[in-house]
Amino acid sequence: MTDVTPDKIVSPVKEDTPVALQRRKLIAQGAIWAFIVVELIFFSVAGEYLSVSDKAFMDFENMLLLLKQSAPIGIIALGMTIIMINGNIDLSVGATYALAAIVLLDSMTWPWMQALGDSAIPLAWGLALLTGMALGAINGLLVWKTGVDAFIVTLGSMLGFRGLVFMYNGEQPTSHLNWTLVDFAEARFLGLHTATWFLLGVALLLWLLMTRTVHGRNAYAIGNNREAAVNAGIRVGPHMMINFMIIGFLAALSAVVFYSESGSVNPNDGMLFELWAITAVVLGGTKLTGGYGSVVATLGGVIAIQLLRKGLGHIGADTQTVNLVIGLILIAVLFLDRQLNRKGKQELRT
Amino acid sequence: MKTTFAATLVATTALAGAALAEQHGEKMTIGITQNNVGVDSYQTTYERAFIEAAEANDMVETVVLDAGGDVARQIAQMEDLIQQEVDAIIIWPTNGEAVIPAVRKASQAGIPVIVTNSNIAEQGFDFVASFSGPDNITQGARSAEIMCDKFKADGIENEARVVQISGQPGYTTAIERAQGFEERLPEVCPNVELVETQPGDWNREKSQQVMEAFLVKYDDIDGVYAGDDNMGVGALNAAKAAGRAEDIVFVGATNFAVGYEAMEAGEYWGSIYQSPVDDARAALQTAIDVLNGEEVPFLNYFDTPKITQENMGDYEKPVF
Repeated sequence: MTDVTPDKIVSPVKEDTPVALQRRKLIAQGAIWAFIVVELIFFSVAGEYLSVSDKAFMDFENMLLLLKQSAPIGIIALGMTIIMINGNIDLSVGATYALAAIVLLDSMTWPWMQALGDSAIPLAWGLALLTGMALGAINGLLVWKTGVDAFIVTLGSMLGFRGLVFMYNGEQPTSHLNWTLVDFAEARFLGLHTATWFLLGVALLLWLLMTRTVHGRNAYAIGNNREAAVNAGIRVGPHMMINFMIIGFLAALSAVVFYSESGSVNPNDGMLFELWAITAVVLGGTKLTGGYGSVVATLGGVIAIQLLRKGLGHIGADTQTVNLVIGLILIAVLFLDRQLNRKGKQELRT
Repeated sequence: MKTTFAATLVATTALAGAALAEQHGEKMTIGITQNNVGVDSYQTTYERAFIEAAEANDMVETVVLDAGGDVARQIAQMEDLIQQEVDAIIIWPTNGEAVIPAVRKASQAGIPVIVTNSNIAEQGFDFVASFSGPDNITQGARSAEIMCDKFKADGIENEARVVQISGQPGYTTAIERAQGFEERLPEVCPNVELVETQPGDWNREKSQQVMEAFLVKYDDIDGVYAGDDNMGVGALNAAKAAGRAEDIVFVGATNFAVGYEAMEAGEYWGSIYQSPVDDARAALQTAIDVLNGEEVPFLNYFDTPKITQENMGDYEKPVF
């Protein structure tokens, strides 16, 4: 009897001992990178036969382009990882992205901003990023103070923020083409595009946040067992609010990076981005239930999706096929993941 | 005998020469990034016609891509096509302004860009070899004329009230078709009032809902102008359900098979005949002409005539 009771309490902790966690982490992270390698090999071989282009798929320039093209959804997906490690979800990122883009482009057309010339650019960025953070704070505050599930709160804000997007400029696109801005966004430093630097920078910062700080450790603790986290003295509400502000900021950053280069936003832009971001996070092995996940693996998930889009385009498949394949792979990944975990638990039991 | 031999010799040499030239002549690789193929029958037919036209031409190889309505994806596809070093790029813009920097990139890489169906904004004209497509403003204007003529025939040109169901927000096509109609209507029928405009997103069901709301809101509607027949028929269905279809003149800005059928049934008045097959062929031909160094007008419109219940016999039913 005395043997059974402590074991029951200890067991969830046991599962997460550094060694077991490390091993699971390695399998999950290794899986996505192995998948990327398989994709690369497949598209290189298939490309030889099916592509009309003489250029190899694995061309170095093409791979640099891949990283750049991963940035818009990638930056959001990285933020989504910490939200999902918390056991939450944020469906409003696509709308936040569009709203931040509107603030970015529209603010540069205001007379007093135009008077500033090119120094208005950093100011416009700042305004867009602040907008993102403010929208994230609204989500966080609602989740914290009302106790309503983040899924419902952000479903509401997704619709609400999108409504604001339409109120801002009706059905018209909001545009401001500034060639200085475009040149900056198209610039390349050490061979990497501007967008790639932002993607990698965000990945590094979030990785440090999640692995080297108390905030990061708390995020895992809350996702694992919210009640235990509260009992351990973690202030769950403010913690979640900070994370929602981070993802709001990142959705805006993604918009800043992308729209600096394109200069015009449709009111429908960013729709379905939340789903692509969640797909990338899940592909990277992060648990929908929270408590487990990795920023680096999400980066892998993002690259895997962009590789699929790019590779299937390279061999001449149409967009519908691309979506079908990504959907099938997502289901396969979740299924495999479940099987692996079940096996893991059985091992622990014996 | 001798002459026959000589003639045969000449003919075979000429044939061989032509064959040789064809083999040695560089095959053109033309990439296309489309807007959103699955979303409606026009774009689906366009893609099919484009692929058919390309396959019929031995000198042309194509890379056919579709942005799925996503600007980010379209820009990525432009970058991919530039990276693959295609000879020319045809783009159906998802956003007439957002793609300009990507078009500039292609033009800087020495790849001619042909814009198809809906044009990009003026700032990007410097980077475009040619625009091939319908004139949406003319289509909108001609729709206004069709509607006005019908009002005059019915003798209500001084009191008629019109509602508009526009296409997907943000799309140049939607904006221009609305603009053409809104500018032309007061010129031909100054006393007709356009009471409200709502987007139907190129979608029949959405348009039906919009029309249901209009019917509740306004007791007197004499005309409905829709961005295309798909939406026009959606509005017609709403009016039929409310029992008010008889009193309303339905005009679309592009004729679809559903609209053609409704015209045959006498329920739908008129539209503008625009063939996605012509559209696709014109785009491919423009690209080929540009690559062959021929003079191509910058705005390479193909004609889109009016079609009403009166003259519909002259036109075949649209395939989409």
